[in-house]
Amino acid sequence: MELIEFAYNSLMTGAVIILAVLIICSMIRSVLGPRIADRIIAVNMIGTMIIMIIAILSVYLDENYLVDICLIYAMISFLGVVVLCKIYTGVYLKRKKMLANMEAIEKNVTSCQKENEGD
Amino acid sequence: MVWQWCRFGAASICFIIGIVFMVVAVFGVNRFQKALNRMHAAALGDTLGILFVFLGLILMRGISLDSLKLFLVILFFWMASPVSGHMISRLEAMTDEELGELFIIRKDLHPGKKEAVSKGCQLQEETITSKEQQFQKEDAALEEKDSI
Repeated sequence: MELIEFAYNSLMTGAVIILAVLIICSMIRSVLGPRIADRIIAVNMIGTMIIMIIAILSVYLDENYLVDICLIYAMISFLGVVVLCKIYTGVYLKRKKMLANMEAIEKNVTSCQKENEGD
Repeated sequence: MVWQWCRFGAASICFIIGIVFMVVAVFGVNRFQKALNRMHAAALGDTLGILFVFLGLILMRGISLDSLKLFLVILFFWMASPVSGHMISRLEAMTDEELGELFIIRKDLHPGKKEAVSKGCQLQEETITSKEQQFQKEDAALEEKDSI
């Protein structure tokens, strides 16, 4: 009985250690990433791996409430990605002095279509 | 006793598959060149990686309320991850000016065709000075040489 406990513990500890190393690797990408989308992707992946670690810890420590924290972390991570994408789209449009309504997008797309047909 | 070891074997196999998927996803995110390719690699970890790791945890737990909650996390991730991927890809397609060719579906302009081939939208570059554009183009050319 002690042997199987030891096997479970070593399996979960190894998984947590590997995930921690992977978090550091994807943190490197979030610092280096040349564009803003790369950083958002890397932060999203860090969130996914932290959710995995919390779920593994909930089984390892035998604490039930950590699964609820895991669910709430998933929701907040999703919300963060959506808000960051909206904010950076707005920043880009403001820097280019473009309007963000549907008329401006239609105008932009139709002008591109005309240029391509001219080619 | 044999049954417990069988359960441990199934859980460990699921765990190892999930961790391997996460390693592949992080490797792809660090290795690919452009953001849309990186997003393809990251989606692998968001769906299959989290599925297999949580399946291993459910096998360890057995059937209880906690494993139902873990299943709920998988379900939430599978619904939320495509939405966030769509948002990121729209951000990238809108802000990247050297994206290359894209397929834009516009049924109102081409009612007969289903898809219309179009290049990436070249937005007006008023605020960027010409020197910065030259530097950006040189950097892009150097990156292409390195990638080849």
